[in-house]
Formats: sequence, C-alpha cells, structure tokens
Amino acid sequence: MYILTRNIVRFFVVILIQVLVMDNVMINGYMVPYVYLLFILLMPFETPRWIQLLSGFMLGMGIDLFENTPGMHTAATVMVVFIRPYLLNLLAPRDGYESETFPRIHYYGFHWFLKYTLIIVVIHHFMLFYLEVFQLKEFLSTLLRVILSSILSASTIVLSQYFVFRK
Amino acid sequence: MKTLLRFIQKYSNFLLFLLLETIAITFIAQGSSYQKSRIIGLNRQVTGYIFSKVDGAREYLSLKGVNQQLVDENLELRNRLDRISGQMDSTIVISEFTKPYHYFYVPSRIVHNSVFKQYNYITLNKGKKQGVFKDMGVISDHGLVGIVLESSRNFATVIPIINRDFRLSVKIKSNNYAGILRWEGESPLYAVLNEIPFHLEIPKGDTILTSGFSSIFPEGIEVGIIESYSLEKGNFYDIRVKLSTNFQSLFHVNVIRNYKHEEQQNLEDRIR
Repeated sequence: MYILTRNIVRFFVVILIQVLVMDNVMINGYMVPYVYLLFILLMPFETPRWIQLLSGFMLGMGIDLFENTPGMHTAATVMVVFIRPYLLNLLAPRDGYESETFPRIHYYGFHWFLKYTLIIVVIHHFMLFYLEVFQLKEFLSTLLRVILSSILSASTIVLSQYFVFRK
Repeated sequence: MKTLLRFIQKYSNFLLFLLLETIAITFIAQGSSYQKSRIIGLNRQVTGYIFSKVDGAREYLSLKGVNQQLVDENLELRNRLDRISGQMDSTIVISEFTKPYHYFYVPSRIVHNSVFKQYNYITLNKGKKQGVFKDMGVISDHGLVGIVLESSRNFATVIPIINRDFRLSVKIKSNNYAGILRWEGESPLYAVLNEIPFHLEIPKGDTILTSGFSSIFPEGIEVGIIESYSLEKGNFYDIRVKLSTNFQSLFHVNVIRNYKHEEQQNLEDRIR
C-alpha cells in the first residue's frame, strides 16, 4: 500500500517538475532534460504489465497536455514502458533481482543504473525527437539533438538518485 | 473461439501496447486539428490556471527588465507624439480621431512559453472573456509574435512564428515585394522568407514588415531584418530573417483586434 501511494505521488510530482521546472532549463537550443522518465525507471519490478502500460500512457498524455504536443510524448513513453521488462531481464544480475528491492542505484549500483537509464532514455528520445520532426530530411541534426538531450536527461536522472532518492 | 481467446490472453500485453501506441499515433497524425478539439480546450483552462499560478514568481524576477522595456517604450511614444503635435493642426487631429477606428489592442501576459521545440506554443492569460478570439494577431513591443490558434474563457493559445505550422505573408520594406515567412525549426532567432523571385535585388539589412494582405495584422508591423540570402533551388530566394521579437525573453504582448476582420473575411469568402 505504501509503495502504491508513493508511486502515485511520484507520478504527479514528476509531471509538475517536468513542466514547471525542467522545461525552462534548456541549454543552447539542443538540450531539454526529460526527467519525467524517472517515474518509469523507478516502477517496482513486480508491477503488472498492463498497469505499467496504462500508467506510461497516462504519464505521456499528462506531459503532452502541458507541452501542447499531440501524442508524441505518449507514443515514446508507451514504447519504453513496453521495452522495459525485456531490458530488465537482459540487464539482470547473475542471481536475478531480489525481492523487496527496487530498480535503483542504492540496490544495484552505479554501473547497472547508468546502463539501464541510458538505454531507456536514448530509445525514448530517439522516438520523441523523430516523431516531432516527422521527416527524415534533417536526420543528422535531429540525431545530434537526440544524443545531446539523452546525455543531459540521463545525467540529471542519475544525479537525482544521489540527491532526492537517496534511500 | 477458444484458441482466439487463448491468443488474446497470451498476447494481451502486446495488444494493449499496440492499442495505446495507435491512439498516440492517431493524435500525432491529426496534428493541429487535435489542438482545436474540445478536450484540449478544457485542458487549456486547467494548464493555463496552473501556469499562471507559478508564473507569479517568474514575473517578479523579471520586473527589472520589464520596467526598462516600459521606460523605453514610453520614451519612444513621447518622441513620436512631439513630432506629430508639431506638424498637425487641430482640424486634422479631429478628422483623424473621428474616423471609426480599425484596430484595438488587448494587452496580455504570457503565462507559458516554449522556445526550443519544433512546434512551440504560447499561452496567454486573456481569453474570450477579454475579447481574444481565434485568428487574432499577437505583437510585442519589438515586433510580430504570432496568431491566436484557439481561446478558452480565460486563456488563449498562440501559434508563434517559431512553430513549423506558421505561415505569414510579409513584404520587404524597400521594394514592397511580398513573400511567405516560415520557420524551419532550427534557431528561435531566425526564420526563412520564401517566394521572392530571383531577379530582384535583395537589400541586406533591410526590414521585413507585415504585408497587410490578411486582415489579421495591420500593414507595416516589423517582423525582422534580412540577415543573408541564398539562391539554391528553383527561381526563388531563401532569405534568412533575423526576427525582431526575442521569444526567449517575452512577457507582455498585445493581441490585435481588427474590427473590420469579419467584413473583409466575409467578402473574401463570398468571392471564393
């Protein structure tokens, strides 16, 4: 019950932080840190798949509504939510994930979390930025934006693990 | 039937994923018509409210800059007034002021603004209640900002120059040639002017003004300055325009209400 409430609160907090704070932090026109992915990244291992998908969908819609974008964040977020369980299997430590742990630095270490975050963030940003441009004409300049923004988002997310979600 | 059910059960997550993804892609495909739908209109009230609450802090921090801007504008208006009052005799003044006026300005504040996306939008704190409706022009002290896309009771969404869907007919000041202004999604400081035929001489550094062909903007509002041009494909120039409005530090704008908009629109529709 405690975990459920915490995730629901986190859902709203990441949306508000994203649209009210992070959207104003933009560096030279190429980089926007999308930290709302924290909600997806930190979802407990045992969450039923359909709840993961639906909450990913609602998270994307929430961001889309505030950012005035039609469905782009939704599409990208649902995609990474779908991929996440497979990725977690792929990245699982030799003896699997222990019960009563969460996908966090605190339990699985810096290297594991960095890999996990980076893959999710890159897939999400790749989809988001190309959907936004919706053409392959500016393939390279969009790719540059994907890479730079991914670095910024991933490092913001990893840092948040040290300052906000320490335990 | 049994196998079908088993199939659905086995792949239920994948099917749910496909369903959600399809919904999202449908929204994207609908593009700007999605912006105008009822749901978004309702949402505009909610997000507008939240943004306007938080905006108080941002506004406080920018007070100094805004103050300076007002002082500058005041000075300029005073200078203009001096110039006019010197050369006008009272009969002209009276005939000027008794003319039915054409444009009316609704001062408004930006509560939310995005700059670095491909489809940027601005939210204003004035809506239908204050007389802000769809298709009205929006300008700042420095130049053109955009066009009102849709408004709700207390808020309005503006599509600024720096949105890939934006198109506006503009002209070059010195030779009066008109072309189409677009934005290509690169820098919020520059836009592109097309459809100027190649035989013309392009005066670098010349001003780009609104053409006044549409009833949205009065003629002669500053849009930007010609930065450079190239003649890459076809018979038209690609002119790079440095925008007069700095979208990154925009707080106060004016919405233009044209009292003859409807009349002009009706006439043009009838011809078509």
